[in-house]
Amino acid sequence: MSTPLSGPESVTRTPGREPAGSPPPRPRASRSRDDAPITLTGIAGKVLLLGLTAGIAVWAAFPLVAAEMWTGLALLAASTAGLFYLYLTRRHIPAKYLVPGTLFLIAFQVFPVLYTASTAFTNFGDGHRGSKDEAIVAIGSSSVTQVPGSTEYALSIATRGDPATGPLLFLVTDPATRAVSVGDAKGLRPLDAADVTIATGGKVTAADGYNVLTFGQANARSKEITDLVVPTAGGAVRSSGLSRAYEGKAVRAYDAGCDCIRDTETGQTWTADEQAGAFVAADGERLAQGWKVNVGLKNFTRVLTDENISGPFLGTLVWNFAFAIGSTGGTFLLGMLIALVLHSPRMRGTNFYRVLLVLPYAMPSFAMLLAWRDMFNADFGLINSLFGLNVDWFGQEWTARFAVILVQLWLGYPYMFLVATGALQAIPRELTEATSVDGASPWQSFRAVTLPLLLVALSPLLISSFAFNFNNFNAIYLTTEGAPFPADNPTNGATDLLITYTYRLAFGGQGAQFGFAAAISLFIFAIVAVVSAISFRRTRKQEEVYA
Amino acid sequence: MTTAILKRTGRRRNRWFAQVGWRHLVAVLAVLFSLFPIVFVLSAALNPLGTLSTTELVPTGGVSLGNFGGLFDRTAFGRWFLNSLLIAGVASFASVFLSALAAYAFSRMRFRGRRVGLLSLLLIQMFPQFLAIVAIYLIFGTITDLWPAIGFNTPWGLLLLYMGGALGVNTWLMKGFFDTLPRELDESATMDGASHAQVFFRIMLPLVAPILAVAGLLAFIGTINEFLMANVFLTSSDSKTLAVGMYGLLQGNERNDNFGIFAAGTLLTAIPTVLVFQLLQRYIVSGLTAGAVKG
Amino acid sequence: MRIRTAGVVALFALALAASGCGGDSDKPAAKETPKAAGGKLVIWADDKRTAAVKPFAEKFGQENGVTVEVQAVSKDLQTNFVTASQQGSGPDVVVGAHDWIGNLVQNGAIDPVQLAAEQKSAFNETAVKAVTFNGQVYGVPYAQENLALIRNTELAPEAPKTIEDLVAAGKKLKAAKKVTETLCLQVGQNGDAYHIYPLYTSAGGYLFGTGANGDYDPKDLGVGKPESVEAFKKIGALGEKGEGVLKRSISDTNSISTFTSKKCAYLVSGPWAVADVKKANISYDISAIPGFAGGKEAQPFVGVQAFYVAAKGKNKALAQEFVANYTTTPELAVALYNAEPRPPALTAALDQVKGSDPDLAKFQEAGKNGQVLPAIPAMAAIWDPFGKAEAAVIGGADPTSTITTAGKTISGQIK
Repeated sequence: MSTPLSGPESVTRTPGREPAGSPPPRPRASRSRDDAPITLTGIAGKVLLLGLTAGIAVWAAFPLVAAEMWTGLALLAASTAGLFYLYLTRRHIPAKYLVPGTLFLIAFQVFPVLYTASTAFTNFGDGHRGSKDEAIVAIGSSSVTQVPGSTEYALSIATRGDPATGPLLFLVTDPATRAVSVGDAKGLRPLDAADVTIATGGKVTAADGYNVLTFGQANARSKEITDLVVPTAGGAVRSSGLSRAYEGKAVRAYDAGCDCIRDTETGQTWTADEQAGAFVAADGERLAQGWKVNVGLKNFTRVLTDENISGPFLGTLVWNFAFAIGSTGGTFLLGMLIALVLHSPRMRGTNFYRVLLVLPYAMPSFAMLLAWRDMFNADFGLINSLFGLNVDWFGQEWTARFAVILVQLWLGYPYMFLVATGALQAIPRELTEATSVDGASPWQSFRAVTLPLLLVALSPLLISSFAFNFNNFNAIYLTTEGAPFPADNPTNGATDLLITYTYRLAFGGQGAQFGFAAAISLFIFAIVAVVSAISFRRTRKQEEVYA
Repeated sequence: MTTAILKRTGRRRNRWFAQVGWRHLVAVLAVLFSLFPIVFVLSAALNPLGTLSTTELVPTGGVSLGNFGGLFDRTAFGRWFLNSLLIAGVASFASVFLSALAAYAFSRMRFRGRRVGLLSLLLIQMFPQFLAIVAIYLIFGTITDLWPAIGFNTPWGLLLLYMGGALGVNTWLMKGFFDTLPRELDESATMDGASHAQVFFRIMLPLVAPILAVAGLLAFIGTINEFLMANVFLTSSDSKTLAVGMYGLLQGNERNDNFGIFAAGTLLTAIPTVLVFQLLQRYIVSGLTAGAVKG
Repeated sequence: MRIRTAGVVALFALALAASGCGGDSDKPAAKETPKAAGGKLVIWADDKRTAAVKPFAEKFGQENGVTVEVQAVSKDLQTNFVTASQQGSGPDVVVGAHDWIGNLVQNGAIDPVQLAAEQKSAFNETAVKAVTFNGQVYGVPYAQENLALIRNTELAPEAPKTIEDLVAAGKKLKAAKKVTETLCLQVGQNGDAYHIYPLYTSAGGYLFGTGANGDYDPKDLGVGKPESVEAFKKIGALGEKGEGVLKRSISDTNSISTFTSKKCAYLVSGPWAVADVKKANISYDISAIPGFAGGKEAQPFVGVQAFYVAAKGKNKALAQEFVANYTTTPELAVALYNAEPRPPALTAALDQVKGSDPDLAKFQEAGKNGQVLPAIPAMAAIWDPFGKAEAAVIGGADPTSTITTAGKTISGQIK
């Protein structure tokens, strides 16, 4: 992929030279002289890529038109036009480089994050996932019971018209009498036995004047079939699949008058509680199916006031920092050390060493985390038996903490090793050679030249590695699961990170509480954001020195 | 005379150790540290009983390749393998390209919102992924309805999703490297009349080849091991990747039962990564930059 | 000049796009056709059950001229099903354990299955009870499972009558260096409520009381009550600081293999362990898990695997047909048993396979007085704190304070 995304540009717009937002310094007239040569590859590449963009846009437009999603279509048209503009104009050079990735970022990262963050203000979670209407439908359909003593019919789906579009009818056979009736929304009417052919199970296979639908034909109209109820005296005949029908009755139904669910048999009512997003009876009993409502800041105040959360919070936070710093720092030091060791022109077999060293990173990490967990088993584990120890690794606070950091070290140092190797290659050898000519010891030259340059290259990475480890869910969840837990507190263990801890709180109770989890995540997010922003400010200095 | 030679070779050996030998020693130790859990997995893969805790560092119950055979007989391992190679290959290539573009802009240009943009790139990665799954379903449910070709159960949909994360860590990694390249390089090229695109493609990219290779490798490994999203995305057995398929082997009560097969699969999963590493190794350690920086 | 170049580029690009979209534009139209012709029944299950169900689901498709696809979701099947259903991209049928029902119902993710009276009576009573929630049948059970005591008959020819007998016999074997562990009952670092439950009930503990209609009542929580403290005292006495019979180092990953490598004579596990035991050529027998001497019966949990109809599936009529009228046939149940040997829930199917597999009857016998695993959503709050309390007590913590805290934690999480 060596096609330039954008064509010729003026030298005066040298990237990196001008302060943000400054106007082009030269008058238009002088520009054409300074224009870089318009290369054929440049134009061809541009045509190809923009053509592809337009092609994709056209392809994507058809389903949008078919589904009549005009907002989507407008968005598509606007972004396509925007892309054309961006790559045909000479301005907005940084944008030319940033937009491709940013488009994906917005669609698949920013949007999900914002959407999730917005749920922090709702009671979104198990039992409160959908809308009120959906809850009402669910309550109604789960209250359908068979009318006691009613007939179990054999069923065929039929129509008088075209199998794909004609109005649907039920052909039901009473298994005892083999009498066939036809049913629609108006009710059941008997059919003459002479007009129908009945299979052994009682299912009607053919009837004069009717098209009996095959399963395939019937399923294409699935929704119509499940929605078709044939009213009878005791309730209504409904389909149970495509070959049986029963007489059933929805016992509970929504009553808009009282904004409540009424049980037609017992007369009991459950009134809608818009604060809780549930139907609640007078005695406080709730129907299981609730809906999503806004709860304002309730999730946030719960984080602050619930002593289960705020109590162990500080200790967990401290350990969380220790874990993130330990993992990042440890992997960095070890990785850099080994990279330095192998970075020698006299060293032979470095390729061989490198392949072996990268192996831990090449293995699926979840598999290796599980393998490590078993290696730390107190009685059967490899580590104790190999070193003749008798340590209850995950049973004691400090050994468990040591163990998880050791595992992180193993998993993560090949990464740092690789990056440091790449960075060392990029440091001009002349620089280090120059210092050693000046008589500096290897340590001095490392301190003076190599390390600062390495840090320039790696410090952004260290920050992001820290951020990743701060929230490294799998590292804990697949090994100790937070153990050891104090006997009197099963919710917060010694190796718990904030993320595993909140996961347990939000998903451990009666199903998932996404809203609450999102609220806690926002808190954690704020903490990490502040820390990262502060350390990020410090990188500015380095950036200005070397850039 | 002989003593002199001996002395000299002795001294040479000492010097050899001081300069190179200790390096080998450290490297060997590091390799041991790296390998011993893998040997544990290897011995599980070779263990005919194929359960977890019957496994010792050296298989006691004999050695067999039955687990490798079982892997191909009982699972669609070959298919998973190909899917993973395709997805990881394309995803790592595309994401390295996208993030190289962005890193160039972040490193060489000054524009409003630059540092904020960088910081947001980092922060956006911090949101727990397991919470985002609901939104992912929302987005891709719609996409699947409209454009099934890039929806659920297609590698393309998953690729799109991975592209969303392309700018994340890789941009940071590469920006750091772009920053270490002397500004004079691209400035002089610009003076000679090169466009910004030419500077990027002809000068910068070759210079950062080592880090492109590193980033590509990291992206490749990251994608091949990515599990959470792929599990949501790929449910039909033909579309699964290695990580998803392999995790399925470890489900619940079966964990023990399948561990041998699982271990065999784990080892085979490492093969493409090692091959890619071999392929990229010469870029990672080539002296390309040294020559170029001279000018 | 600039504008000219830009214009030319745009023109070419559009021309290219136009030439490409001639082929593209009829793609969406082509996609519509298969959708109209009967759709595709999608079934989600975990990996093992996918393998078992697949051939029969495909047969159903062939017989009825529809496409059926069975897809395996390897992790978090239940949550992914609920989330996907909610967004309209879920399957039509899902296969899972019966204790999901409470959660699936509260999310409106599944519909009741309307079974005819004779269909219902063909099932084993416990299985039907398990899939019944708030008086409605929500799934069609196909297999049933519970824990039992599997013993190595070479080492332990007699089935122990009480835990005390078991411990005595196990210790004798241990002293004779024939085994290294007295009992293989998985605990793990964070406990295992499912596996300890028989001992807990035998010692007098309970999880939820039952209401007047026989349903579990989340308001009557047994954990933290004096009975549960007493029960955990007995369990603690078997723990690491006591008899050393229960150990945290015996976990889900090594419990079965320790037994198959003959390092312990007794194993508490389910039908899934038998395949391994057979593979290791161990002569074994299966009996009920013994209780404490003078205590109550040890009641294992009885779990049921079932088929559910997704409430928001796109092919609901066909899904109902498949679940209510196809999975209820004995032929299918037998075939599923052959794919994965767990006791079928259909009585006719069980009778058919019982002759060739004596283990089935033994497992069923062992689970005769078992308790149906509660399907109420409140059960989700039990597992974690209960397991950790168990692990702590086995590790030597004080039962009274540990269980009281666990009880408080659980009741705090139940709405």
